[in-house]
Amino acid sequence: MAALRYLAALGAALLLHLIGARIHPNLPQAIDWFLPVLVLLALSGSSFAGIAGGLAAGLLQDGLTGGLYGLHGFADTVVGYATARLAQRLVIQRAVGVFAIASFASALQQVILIALSLFLLPQASVPEPFWVVVRALSTGLVGMLIYSGSDRFRKAAESHRKQRLSRLRMDATK
Amino acid sequence: MDEKRAGWLLLVTLVAQLALLGLQVPGAGGKGTFLGVLGLRVIGPFARGITGASRTIGDSTENLRFQQRLVAENRRLRHEVEDLHLRLLQFEDVRSEAARLAAALRYAPPPIGDLRAADVVYLDFSSWLTTLVIYAGGPPVKVDQVVLAPTGLVGRVVEVASPYAKVQLLTDRAASVGALIVRTRRQGVLRGAGSGTLDLEYIPIQADVRAGDRVLTAGIDGIFPRGIPVGTVVSVKQLGQLFHEIRVAPAVDLGTLDQVYLLDWKPVPKNLEEAVADGRP
Repeated sequence: MAALRYLAALGAALLLHLIGARIHPNLPQAIDWFLPVLVLLALSGSSFAGIAGGLAAGLLQDGLTGGLYGLHGFADTVVGYATARLAQRLVIQRAVGVFAIASFASALQQVILIALSLFLLPQASVPEPFWVVVRALSTGLVGMLIYSGSDRFRKAAESHRKQRLSRLRMDATK
Repeated sequence: MDEKRAGWLLLVTLVAQLALLGLQVPGAGGKGTFLGVLGLRVIGPFARGITGASRTIGDSTENLRFQQRLVAENRRLRHEVEDLHLRLLQFEDVRSEAARLAAALRYAPPPIGDLRAADVVYLDFSSWLTTLVIYAGGPPVKVDQVVLAPTGLVGRVVEVASPYAKVQLLTDRAASVGALIVRTRRQGVLRGAGSGTLDLEYIPIQADVRAGDRVLTAGIDGIFPRGIPVGTVVSVKQLGQLFHEIRVAPAVDLGTLDQVYLLDWKPVPKNLEEAVADGRP
């Protein structure tokens, strides 16, 4: 079920990515829709989920870019695992924490991508530092917004469920 | 799954991916790889669906917005067509004169080739791994096929997953084109600067180059035919003792591409291109 949910989230990220590129071709440089999804999955603390999720998200991104197939796959696998290991050691209960972790994950991903490109491609072009920072911050922001949105939704659903249960009990006592 | 197993899994996954990446490196020059083609085949139709939907929505809103302006635009375009007809007549005259002179000199100009339109499915020119995916139904697209826009050169096809194809943009850092400055006919090599601009290299210090000079393809690289507009010189600096540092703005606004044109022409055959001076292939 979690895997299906993750795949659906990746599908939504792909949709947003393509719509963004259609609106303005600069947008994919500024916002990474896939990484927040991966970070939120890896925050569950499962290393396996981090590795598998990173691999899936990365290979999907590789289909969209013009470089070697597997660059993002490699980077996102490392990022997914690292985030999962980090989540095992830290207790993240606030949206700001998610922002920090997602930003860190984005920075790590870009560093790995740059290193791999320089290593493997004869004439690799490195992104400008400004865009690296923008992408890291936007990834953190998107991650934080999704986290707080889903948290609120979960709480609202929980309180609604409790209200319904208490009403049922009252009806039963009448 | 315990952490030790997860660590092993990570190691195996990364090593496998590195091996796959390593296998692709010889093909990075642009011939395309199995995985790249597979990725293009899977994502191409999805991206085309999104593009088609957004184009339909955009077109319908635009139609509503500009309906009233259509009559005026139509009138203006009619005048423009008349003007172009007149210019065409002049060019026909010049062309027939050029053909006459060429015949007198027994010079046979190379064929220009045929154009066919292709829809842009996905464009991500700003990222450091620049990509343009096109959809071209009909006859299959070929690797190294030249891609044009109405205002000039866009790039060349590097990967084909019929009917989709991936195009290396002119601004990509790995792209290079033989080019010449129209005013002085000085030839150099144009390379993508990676930031949406181009660098014209190997133009010696003695050469006369000015900002505003137009740059065309020189037809010396065996891929791009001669005479396609590439861009305009925006700045000229002295780089060391030998060459100018020339920055060129592309002729095509790559961010606004909706449709491109594939040029069918016969480039220089590979065996001829690789032949050595003594005549042995």
